[in-house]
Amino acid sequence: MGLFTRSKETAPCTVSISHRFEELSAHVRFDNGAVIHPGDSVLVQGAEIMAPFGEIVEESRTAVITRASGLERAWTRLTGDLEFIELCEFSFSEEVTV
Amino acid sequence: MNIQTPKDLNGHASPTALHGTNEAMTSEKATDVAMQDTLLTPRFYTTDFNELDAINVENVRHDWDTLIGQMEADPNKGHFKKNADWDTVDWDGMEPALRAEFIDFLISSCTAEFSGCVLYKEMKRRGSNPDITQLFQLMARDEARHAGFINDALREAGIAVNLGFLTQQKKYTYFRPKFIYYATYLSEKIGYARYITIFRHLEKHPEHRFHPIFKWFEEWCNDEFSHGEAFALLMKTDPKLTESRQNRLWIKFFLTAVYGTMWVRDHQRPVFHEALGVDVTWYGMEVFRKTSEISKQIYPFTLDIDHPRFRKGLDKLQDANVQIAAGKRQRGVAGKIKQFIGTARAAAAFAVLYSIPVVHHERPASTMMEPAY
Repeated sequence: MGLFTRSKETAPCTVSISHRFEELSAHVRFDNGAVIHPGDSVLVQGAEIMAPFGEIVEESRTAVITRASGLERAWTRLTGDLEFIELCEFSFSEEVTV
Repeated sequence: MNIQTPKDLNGHASPTALHGTNEAMTSEKATDVAMQDTLLTPRFYTTDFNELDAINVENVRHDWDTLIGQMEADPNKGHFKKNADWDTVDWDGMEPALRAEFIDFLISSCTAEFSGCVLYKEMKRRGSNPDITQLFQLMARDEARHAGFINDALREAGIAVNLGFLTQQKKYTYFRPKFIYYATYLSEKIGYARYITIFRHLEKHPEHRFHPIFKWFEEWCNDEFSHGEAFALLMKTDPKLTESRQNRLWIKFFLTAVYGTMWVRDHQRPVFHEALGVDVTWYGMEVFRKTSEISKQIYPFTLDIDHPRFRKGLDKLQDANVQIAAGKRQRGVAGKIKQFIGTARAAAAFAVLYSIPVVHHERPASTMMEPAY
């Protein structure tokens, strides 16, 4: 990892989606144990994935991991915390009507 | 941050976005809404997993085991089912403004549950401390269940979730573990206070219950309550988290930011609150009161919500937010300037709120609480 340079790598991954009444969830797991660090980006290759309603789908795909540069990583560590409001149900939308 | 306006989304509809719902689409308005095909755009977080693994719950072991035992027993397992109480919803007959605000409410709720699920699952997967991974697994279960339930209500309204984000570039942001505790503790407890306040209000005024989902709020928010309990215990494992000078400033920051955001956001949904028969200002203050009372279990102080500058600061924040939004709509240089001024005013309003002295109190020996509202 350079201070200013990014690098790319690929990793096999499993995408699992549950699109059921009792559970709506979606997760990506790296099968080779690749670890994501702050500021890294992940792109799962291939067509869009969606499970029909009532079903669970699991697909093996390849993910491209773009490793953040040292600077980006430091910046993300410093500022990422401020995105916490996302977890609240009243998290901001841009739709303002008042 | 995570919800996009129909305006931004037009033209991005994908076949999956309308999956199985085409027949429900009659009006152009409804189609617009259905085009929110980036419906679920959760953030992806990473954190310091070594620090999480190093947590030792021994000093709260008794309470911890009780709480985990309750969560494992899963009393709400059978709750999230549609039964005879789920009346038919007349989506087509719903006033368009109410429909839009209500759907916005459902979508942001669903996204929050979903984001929580992604975060908790990630922590479960990456961690190796059995206490911690077990907790996060249980919480991920609840969040996914809630998201599924809201998703169903959305489907009835002709809106299908799209998980297109899975195959789009996603950047992982960073959350320090202690910030996860502060933020998720508050988001779970304030979520409880919000849902229970609406539920109790509708018990007294059932004529305002315009959708059956509100009947499920009571048990639903009990899940939020127990998640909050877990984070309170996590914070108790290390007294520095709530006692050091620096961390106290952070706690005040989180309280102010969460209260302020909620205030602004709820004021963006006047029609929704009117339909519920709820005065949005009363509602906000009531939720703050409950949340403050609950948060005494772990935080050493509460915000002085009765301070004269508190309401003023919130109103200024609200005005600034309206200005920012107007600037965004206006676009161009003038719009940018308006946004910039609005942002500066919002920062000033936040500073006013942050400068109000807090109210200190003694904390109880045991943090454990039961949902009492």
